[in-house]
Amino acid sequence: MKNNPLTIIVSLVLALIFVMVLFVFQVRQSEVAVVTRFGKPVKTYTEPGFRFKLPPGIESVYKLDQRIQNFEDTFSEGYTADGNNLLSSVYVGWRIADAQAFFPKFKNGSVKEAERNLRDIVISAKAAVVGKHPLSDFVNANDQDLKFDAVEQEIKTIVQEKAAANNSGIQIEYLGIKRLGLPESVTESVFALMTADRKKLADKYNEEGAAEARKIRSAADREAAQLISTAEGEARRIRGEGDAAAAKVYPVFEQAPDLAKFLGDLEALEASLKERSTLIFDSRTAPFNLLTESLTNQVSR
Amino acid sequence: MATESPAPPPPPAQPIDAGSQALADALHSSFGIVKFVMLLLFLAFLFSGFFTVGPREQAILLRFGKPQGEGDKVLLGPGIHFGLPYPIDEVVKIPITEVQEVRSRTHWFFQTPVQEAQGEIPFAGPTLNPEQDGYALTGDGNILHTKAILRYRIEDPVRCVFNFSSGADQAYGLTGLSNAVLNVLDNALVYAAAHRSVDQALFERTAFQDAVQRRVNQLVLTEKLGIAVEQCVVETRQPRQLDTAFANVTTAGQQSRQALTEALTYRDKKINEAIGEAAARRNAAQAERNDMIAKIEGDAKTFQEVLPRYRANPELFRQQRLTETLGRAIAGVDYKMYLPTSPDGKPLELRLLLNRGPVKSKTETPHP
Repeated sequence: MKNNPLTIIVSLVLALIFVMVLFVFQVRQSEVAVVTRFGKPVKTYTEPGFRFKLPPGIESVYKLDQRIQNFEDTFSEGYTADGNNLLSSVYVGWRIADAQAFFPKFKNGSVKEAERNLRDIVISAKAAVVGKHPLSDFVNANDQDLKFDAVEQEIKTIVQEKAAANNSGIQIEYLGIKRLGLPESVTESVFALMTADRKKLADKYNEEGAAEARKIRSAADREAAQLISTAEGEARRIRGEGDAAAAKVYPVFEQAPDLAKFLGDLEALEASLKERSTLIFDSRTAPFNLLTESLTNQVSR
Repeated sequence: MATESPAPPPPPAQPIDAGSQALADALHSSFGIVKFVMLLLFLAFLFSGFFTVGPREQAILLRFGKPQGEGDKVLLGPGIHFGLPYPIDEVVKIPITEVQEVRSRTHWFFQTPVQEAQGEIPFAGPTLNPEQDGYALTGDGNILHTKAILRYRIEDPVRCVFNFSSGADQAYGLTGLSNAVLNVLDNALVYAAAHRSVDQALFERTAFQDAVQRRVNQLVLTEKLGIAVEQCVVETRQPRQLDTAFANVTTAGQQSRQALTEALTYRDKKINEAIGEAAARRNAAQAERNDMIAKIEGDAKTFQEVLPRYRANPELFRQQRLTETLGRAIAGVDYKMYLPTSPDGKPLELRLLLNRGPVKSKTETPHP
C-alpha cells in the first residue's frame, strides 16, 4: 500500500490530539485545578497555563472557579441585646483559597454545597452578633453611636474563623449588611408611631404659623402706631415753631391793641360770611342806615 | 541469442457497463467536493483566529488560559487582531468605555415593571411583608423606601473580568462584577438610611444621595471592585401607608406659610399706611407752621401800614374798614334781608323758618 504523506500527517495530528487529551490539561485564568490520583487530591494548580497529568483511571482533573462568589444569606430574625426583633441579611464575597482542602470537603468541590454550609455559618454568626448589640448600634441618627461597620466586621470575623476551623478552604473577602428590617407585625405599630409623629408635626406647623402670623401682625400694629405717634410729636414740634415765630411778631400789635382787635374782628367777620350765610340787616347798621336817612324811603313808607 | 518473446498483447479492456461508469463518476466528483469543503474548513479554522475589537471595548487574549502581555499591554485596543484558534487562544472582550449600570430595588415596595413604568402605586395593606416589600430602617427607627441607580465604568478590566464569578459556568463576563456592585449599592442605601432620621432621608435628598455615593466609593476601594463610579441617583419615599399623614403635614406647612404670607402682606400694608399718615401729619404741620408765620407776618405788616391812619382818626378808620369789609362780605352772602325800623323806632319783628342743611355723615368718604 502506498504511504500518502497527507495520510501520515493527519494520522500524527490525530495521535497527538489523543495523547494531549490523555496527558495534558489547561488551567484558565479564573480556575484552580485539583488533580486526584485514584480519587485522592494530590496536586492543585492555581496559575493559568498548560499542565500534564497521568491518563484517566490514574489521575483525574477537577477545575474549580477561584473567582469571588457573591453569596446572599436569608433574611433571618434575631433578638438584639435590648430585646428588639431585628431581621437582617448580609452579602458575602468568598473564594476558594485552598482548593485541596475545599475539594474533599464539599462533594467534588461543589460551590452550591459550600454555600449551603456558609449559609448556616453566616446565620449563626449573625445571631451571635445581633444578640450582643442594642438596636441603636444598627440604626442611629447620631454618627458617633452607630456601630454599623463594627457589626459587619464582627460577623465577618466569626464567619472567617468558623470557615477556617472547618478547614473548608474558604476565604471570606468581604461581608456587608444588605438588608435590615422588622417583623411584619411590628411594621404596623411603626406606621402608627410615624402617623402620630406626622400629626404632631402638622399641628406644630399650624400652631407655629398662626403664632408667627399673630406676632407679625401685632408687631406691625405697634410699629405703625409708633410711626404715627412719632410723626405726631414731630408735627407738634413744627407747629410749636410756628407759634414761637408768631410770638416774636406779637409786640408789633401791642402798639395799638384796640386796632389789632378791630382788624382781627373784621377778618373773623369776613371769614364767617363766606359760605351759605343769610344776613339780616338792621336799618341802624352802617351802611344801611343810609337807607333810613333817605327821604325817598320815608315817602314810600 | 535468445529471442525475445513477443510481448503479450494487452488484456482486452473490460467492458464497463453504463451504470458502474456513472457511479464511478459520481464518487469521483463527490470526493472532489469533500476535498474542497475540507480545504474551506481548514482555511476557516486558520482565519478564525482573526478577531475585531470595537471602538468602545478592549480585549484580553488568553493562551492556554493565561493572559498574554504584562501590565497595560495585556489589553488590546480597537482594531483587528490575531490569535491562534480555540482551544489554544481565547479572546475576552470587555466594554471598558461603556457606562455600566445597576439598579437597586431591594429597599422598595413590590411593584410590577408595568406599574413602575406607569408610575402606578399598588394598593398598600396595613403592614409590609418582608418577603415581598423591601424597605430600610432609618436612624430614628422609622421605615423608608429607597431605590437607586449606580452608573460606573470599568477601571481595572483584568480584575473586573477574572476576579468575580459569573455563576455556575466558567464563562468570563461582567455579571459577577455587577452582582458585587449591586450588593455594595444595597449596603450603601441601608447604611445611609441607618445614619439619618426619616425626615433627613426624605427631605434632604441631595445629602442622602451624597452619603450613599460616599459609602459606595468607600466599599469599591475596600472590596477592590476595580470600577469608577460615574453617577449615583437615589430616590426616597415614605411608606404608602403614610401618604395621607405626610400629605397632611404638607398641607399644614402650606397653610402655615400662607398665614405667614398674609401676615407679612398685612404688615407691609399697615406700615406703608402708617408711613403715609406720618408723612401727611408732618407735612400738614409744616404747612400750618408756614401759614401761621406767613399770616402773622402779613398781619403785622398790614398793621404797621394802617397804624398811622388809625391813629390819625380811629373812628373814621374803623367806619371805613367796616364798610369795606361788609361790602366785600355781602357780595358772597346768599340771602340778604333788610329790616327797616318801625315808626316808633323799634325794630320790626321778623320770623324765619329756615331749613336745616343736610347733615354730612362723618364716616362718609368723599368721592374722588
